[in-house]
Amino acid sequence: MIQRDNRYVVRPTILCISLGILLLLPANSIANERIGLVKTYDPLAVAVRQGVEYQLEKGAEIFEGDTIITDPSGAVGIIFTDGAVLTLGPSGKLVVENFMFNPAEQKVSFISRVAKGTVAFISGAIGRISPKAVQFKTPTATLGLHGTKILIKVE
Amino acid sequence: MIKILLPTLAAVTLTACCNTGTTVVLIPDAAGKVGQVSVTTKAGTTNLSKANESTAATKAEQSPTSAAIMSTDKIQTMFGDTLAKVPIPPERFRLYFSSGTSDISAETRAEIGKVIDVIKKHESCDLSVIGHSDRVGDNASNKGLSIDRAKAVAEILTSNGIDAKCMDIRYYGENDPAIPTADNVAEARNRRVEVEIR
Repeated sequence: MIQRDNRYVVRPTILCISLGILLLLPANSIANERIGLVKTYDPLAVAVRQGVEYQLEKGAEIFEGDTIITDPSGAVGIIFTDGAVLTLGPSGKLVVENFMFNPAEQKVSFISRVAKGTVAFISGAIGRISPKAVQFKTPTATLGLHGTKILIKVE
Repeated sequence: MIKILLPTLAAVTLTACCNTGTTVVLIPDAAGKVGQVSVTTKAGTTNLSKANESTAATKAEQSPTSAAIMSTDKIQTMFGDTLAKVPIPPERFRLYFSSGTSDISAETRAEIGKVIDVIKKHESCDLSVIGHSDRVGDNASNKGLSIDRAKAVAEILTSNGIDAKCMDIRYYGENDPAIPTADNVAEARNRRVEVEIR
């Protein structure tokens, strides 16, 4: 009897855990949606994603939270899903800290941190919808971008 | 005494000779448009609003330098390597719709033909198809209408051999008008699907 009772107790728990996992999966896949694609590339450039280093090449996917690093001969040009174009020159290090592009709900944000190197940036739809949403942070300053094209050098 | 001074002088000279910190330059985009950028440190803000204006934020505790035009030669020296690698900017098309419908008109169908040509020219597997509406009707029904328009365009693209996996289909409802209007105003230029080929 006791065993049988246990069974009945255990089963809904397993069901709950399974449901929980099922509910979590779609949420995860949304959070891990790619935010950009590599269009131009000079070796060597890598993306560090959750502690793992991925070598970048044309067509490589970029995700929120990626740290992008170029060596002295490297460069990488990325087009983001909002149409923004970001190019990181040689000896650069940049983190895409926050990228949110949900225009129907007016939830947009594009925040990057440049640790070193040179960046050319042309803003896209996020900048058009909400000018305050596009920001670059450097060790000495915060840049608020109100449209179009800028160059940044961090030494 | 001299021995102590020399290294100190060398250090001072090094600091003075080279830019450290952050340099920002505002430049015109491909269409010649110049935006604005604010550069803020703990001590102050410098706003750039003219073509090739620049500022330097050497230290977080100091205000950024006043805006000054940087010569195109200097821009080339500092940023030439990076500018050479800037990808070809995305191409955009606008496809228009009649009020309250996602039906594709003959003109719009012809325009989609051009979109397909450009996708094939770019060999692009990275495009967005974004539906919009004007402000006639409520926000919720306009979201529905704008996604229907985006899907109608995407369907024609897939039937012409463009892989659905290459498309990012989105909708803005009435929230990103090409021409801002008051609520409930019919505006043909806002009833559209924008296709961006990257």
